[in-house]
Amino acid sequence: MLCHECDLLIQNQVIDEGSKLQCPRCGHVIYKQKHNTIGKSLAFTITALIFFYPAVTESIMSISMGGKSQHQSIIEGAQVLLQEEYYLVAILTFMCSLLVPLLRLLLLFYITFSLSVNLFHKSFFWSFRLYHYIEEWGMLDVYMLGIIVSVVKLSSMAEIQAGFGLWAYAGLLLTYILAANSLNPHEVWDLLLEHKQLGEKQNQTKTNQEAA
Amino acid sequence: MASRETTNNNHYRSGKEAGLVLCIECHTIHQYIPHMAMRCSRCGAQLHQRKPNSLNRTWALLITSIILFIPANMLTIMNVIYFGQDDPSTIIGGVILLIQLGSYSVAFVVFAASILVPLFKMVGILMILLSLKYNINLSDSQRITMFRYIDFIGRWSMLDIFVISILAALVNISGIAVITAGSAATAFGAVVVLTIMAANSFDTRLLWDYKQSTDNFLNSNNEQIK
Ligand SMILES: [Zn+2]
Ligand SMILES: [Zn+2]
Repeated sequence: MLCHECDLLIQNQVIDEGSKLQCPRCGHVIYKQKHNTIGKSLAFTITALIFFYPAVTESIMSISMGGKSQHQSIIEGAQVLLQEEYYLVAILTFMCSLLVPLLRLLLLFYITFSLSVNLFHKSFFWSFRLYHYIEEWGMLDVYMLGIIVSVVKLSSMAEIQAGFGLWAYAGLLLTYILAANSLNPHEVWDLLLEHKQLGEKQNQTKTNQEAA
Repeated sequence: MASRETTNNNHYRSGKEAGLVLCIECHTIHQYIPHMAMRCSRCGAQLHQRKPNSLNRTWALLITSIILFIPANMLTIMNVIYFGQDDPSTIIGGVILLIQLGSYSVAFVVFAASILVPLFKMVGILMILLSLKYNINLSDSQRITMFRYIDFIGRWSMLDIFVISILAALVNISGIAVITAGSAATAFGAVVVLTIMAANSFDTRLLWDYKQSTDNFLNSNNEQIK
């Protein structure tokens, strides 16, 4: 085995179920032996996807000021900035609070659902790679903190009321984190490899039979 | 050749020395073939023993982000028009406003996310790059701990960008109060993206490559002296 972060060569070791192998030089977790994480992750992913639509389209909060009131959802937040031509800010908000989390959830659903019903497709490999690649651009947690800071900033000049979108958003955040953390990526890679080898073997026997 | 046998027990062997290459996506190990574009047979990712051009890329992204950090702090990040009166504020101005409102904990969170985190991140990456360039002996555990910490906290500096986009959309009642973004918001957004990209383009394995080559050098020197 090779360490991901310091390239240390380590002899193959037997790892007990539930424990993990850490690099003796840099402390990076090289392999985690934990099975049956896919079904759990799938359940959380479905819940998160159910929360997604109201969290994004329903109003997060509404303010009233001098007799007038206004409310806003996440999608509208990005739209206003686009109109004001702050493209980078608008795109970053749209990407990190909406697009990347949605894409990650869909990829996760695709992979965990197919694996739990024992389907296999070549596209899993790049799907799972993409899922990891965009990981740090999904910033639902940072956006939640942004909502809290905005409330504090506004509290002196306006009255604020939480909308239904906020509760849906909190649910989305929680299930999103649980879905990502309950999955053991090493288990997924191992399963994918197993399926691939199985497929290759079947192909070989098929061609052998045809040749015979 | 004798030096190899006398190397101390602390000498570790890297995958690169053993002629192996690791797929950093799916963690399979492959035999390395020099001068060939390799792809992982399991997942199809490109294979490199070290990320190509890692140091140059990190330097370029880091320097750009340091330069942009200046306008991000000097220019207006948010403009509050309250009953027809303009009240532009910088990043620091927003923190001071929160202190005046009496919400110290939130003021600290904003200060940490928009000033401390980006600053710490840029200085940290700069120190790691300089220590590699000028062979300054920082211990490996210090450097990798610092790098992991930097990688972990970096995304939280996006906080101010989100606050602006929430406020700009929410406070838009013409005649009473309107909040718009300022040009510092674009600069600051660019700083956050560039520092995240700089951390990503840095290959942590380079930290030990350097250490190993000096260790080998020292060992062979000792051998000659004996
Ligand atoms: Zn390691
Ligand atoms: Zn691979």
